[in-house]
Amino acid sequence: MSMERSMKQFEDDRRESVRLAARLLLASGTTSPRVGGVGECTIHIIEDPCEIEELVQQVERMASDNKRWDFFKRDAAMLRDADAVLIVTSLRCKTDPADTNCNMCGKLTCEYLKETPELPDEPGVAYRGPLCIFRANNISYAIDGMVSLARNLGIDYGVFWSAGAAAMRMRIVPKATGFCLAMAISVTEKSPFRDIPAKYDEINETTMNDRIIKRLWPQFRSIYS
Amino acid sequence: MPVREMNDLIQAGLDRAVELMAVAAHNSFRFGKRNTIRLVSLGVDDMKDIAEFCYSLGDMSPLAARDGRFLMELVKEPCALILIGDKRKSDLNYNCGACGYRTCAELNKAEETESLTAKGPSCQFKNINLNIAANAAAAMAWRLGLHCRVFSTLAFAAFALNKMEGVDVATSVSVSVAKVDPYFDRHQYWTQEHWDETFKKEFPTFTRGFIGAIEE
Repeated sequence: MSMERSMKQFEDDRRESVRLAARLLLASGTTSPRVGGVGECTIHIIEDPCEIEELVQQVERMASDNKRWDFFKRDAAMLRDADAVLIVTSLRCKTDPADTNCNMCGKLTCEYLKETPELPDEPGVAYRGPLCIFRANNISYAIDGMVSLARNLGIDYGVFWSAGAAAMRMRIVPKATGFCLAMAISVTEKSPFRDIPAKYDEINETTMNDRIIKRLWPQFRSIYS
Repeated sequence: MPVREMNDLIQAGLDRAVELMAVAAHNSFRFGKRNTIRLVSLGVDDMKDIAEFCYSLGDMSPLAARDGRFLMELVKEPCALILIGDKRKSDLNYNCGACGYRTCAELNKAEETESLTAKGPSCQFKNINLNIAANAAAAMAWRLGLHCRVFSTLAFAAFALNKMEGVDVATSVSVSVAKVDPYFDRHQYWTQEHWDETFKKEFPTFTRGFIGAIEE
């Protein structure tokens, strides 16, 4: 026990803390309120670095699908630094309107909403609305439940709709999902989701390292060859 | 230091708690980094108005009538109702499609439909921000040890009665310092006829002789 602990052990323990935190956040999001007390949301944890990278690449690809989604590139750079991503889905907003005739969707009755054709499956469409807003609002409770616990645990977090839309497009969420958001978490000394440069997709730790290596590498090669 | 009675302390504490809930809602997470919600706290007289209105909807909405009866009982002990609302149009420019329009510009140009409950069509992310604020207020109430529940029905009634100006969609957070938690067990506020009808509809096998009996 008198031995100095290795950096590797710190890294292993840090990753274990992320695993634990992700599951606690899932519990908090799952037990948060639901409209009418009816089950609606599922929460899926993505913690394998390769799976996170797949999701990030999908977010990057979607950035060019709509002229308003340019910020997806920046989101992708932030998500790349995340230790885990939690995907929150709404399973009833598309197939099972709440029958409250609330008019939030702009249809005076839920029957009108059911008759309205959904948006086509096109690259520029993230969610194929119109959705039952009353149902989809359940996601806000799940997200705030997770945000609330993340704050208490001292976990760095960021909420991204880009990653939720990407998860839907990758079809890694339940088939009935109509609306989907994502929360990325990080257990690091500096939050990767705060104080982010405007062009974070161009200027971040990875690209800076790449630039330094690219500048230095030719000199190393000429010296050591 | 003068002695302060329990009732005074509770009422003062409730007033302070409502302020803290407002702060929590105001500072909650939101998409777009913009706080556009509006928030008001209603007094007992306003709550009685809402209760009567909900009760008057009995034929149209048994759920509203139930909550109206419930609210009339709730106001007998210290309680408060926070209304949180927002505009329906999108200023986020996400073009996400959740509202059923391809772009936020199309949503903002769409014909407005008015009803007693809300004005539509509304931006999904504005609604998400609104309900995150409601959840943050409710979470604060929970931390402070208050009885609490989020009500859509009461918010719809408050919207219909124009209790908060300048909003298109609304939700409400009700808190109470009653001796017994008044929320989440409100069977007493259903009428017997409604309960019998619901039970018959929801559990047909219980009232029929055998499974698969002929429909009426």
